Amino acid sequence: MAYTPQYGPGTSVIAENRRKQMNPNNKLEKVRDVTDEDVVLILGHRAPGAAYPTAHPPLAEAGEPDCPIRKIVTPTEGAKAGDRVRYIQFTDSMFNAPSQPYQRTYTYCYRFRGIDPGTLSGRQIVECRERDLEGYSKFLMETEMFDSARCSVRGATVHGHSLRLAEDGMMFDMLQRCLLMGDGNVKYVKNQIGEPLDREVNVGKPMDEAWLKAHSTIFHSLVGVPYRDDQEYVEYVQRIHSLRTKYGFMPKE
Amino acid sequence: MTEASYPQCRIVPLRMLKPETAERLLNAIGKVCGIRRMLVNGPRLPATVPYGPARGAPNPHTARRIIKVGDTEVELQVQVGQIVLEVEDEGVIEEVRIVCDEFFTEIPYTLQEGIFMKTKPSLVDYAKYGPEADEAMIGLMDPGKKGGPVILQGLK
Repeated sequence: MAYTPQYGPGTSVIAENRRKQMNPNNKLEKVRDVTDEDVVLILGHRAPGAAYPTAHPPLAEAGEPDCPIRKIVTPTEGAKAGDRVRYIQFTDSMFNAPSQPYQRTYTYCYRFRGIDPGTLSGRQIVECRERDLEGYSKFLMETEMFDSARCSVRGATVHGHSLRLAEDGMMFDMLQRCLLMGDGNVKYVKNQIGEPLDREVNVGKPMDEAWLKAHSTIFHSLVGVPYRDDQEYVEYVQRIHSLRTKYGFMPKE
Repeated sequence: MTEASYPQCRIVPLRMLKPETAERLLNAIGKVCGIRRMLVNGPRLPATVPYGPARGAPNPHTARRIIKVGDTEVELQVQVGQIVLEVEDEGVIEEVRIVCDEFFTEIPYTLQEGIFMKTKPSLVDYAKYGPEADEAMIGLMDPGKKGGPVILQGLK
């Protein structure tokens, strides 16, 4: 019988949302339009329209050694062209943001190729070849994994994920990379490291509370679903904890 | 430095305040008679990018601006998250509570009583101000910063 991944335990809406994001066979809902040029501007790695700088010659010209692994693994487009390795980093508020650092890493590993994710408590960074990165970034910002108020692209000074929200519902950002405009849209005025942009980049309107609560992937006892309400999740985590603790004592049986 | 005999309270709104709202709130609280010291607290808004690849670049931020409390101009360097007050007696806290109940109609808030300011100088305070430090100023400002506290006109 073929193996069918379960992606994660749990019976709550949070657990279901986590599984939806991780499962690459599930098509994530597209909720906003961000152009390729917008993504390039927010990332700030190259000027829009500029050629991709390279770290090595294209693989077709490089004369690769005879290697069985290279025959098995198909290179990504960025690797084929010899692009530089660049990054995008997200900060997600604990107040019902649609994704979270660990969740992001699991999701990326199931959905993307040729990536090197780094997971921290309040931020999640992923490195990969530049043209692959732009494609992945566009996907991450256009789909239901992103909310313009509760998620933010922050290459540096990420502080804000665990703070109270501002009065207008935006997550605190010391560098104020994005602003909630009068028309209700959130626009980036700085790139991810805090350098001013030549033009504002629109990432759409923030989603309402009901949508955020229905699409959240974080347990929160005050504003969302409490962790202890998902009995199956608690049992699973307790089982893992128990097994690895016992393994530390090298049980005989 | 805090005298143990003076009660303190802390106003914590559920959302962090915009400068305009903070200005209105501080002006409303400032009309209450009997407040000795006031501390506006929250995450810092630096004038330049403090670290990362853009370190040292200017950091324009709409929440870092000058507000007017009474007749005095105050430069906000933080996004206002909480306000700590030291008052003359318990009755003043109740007056502050009435002001806050009227003010916070859209955002919930909590008003807590306790000790929220430093009770004695820390090592950093000693290094910065020495043994002859003005005890009323201890804990009101970051010892690593230049500039002092703002003096508001009293009501008595």
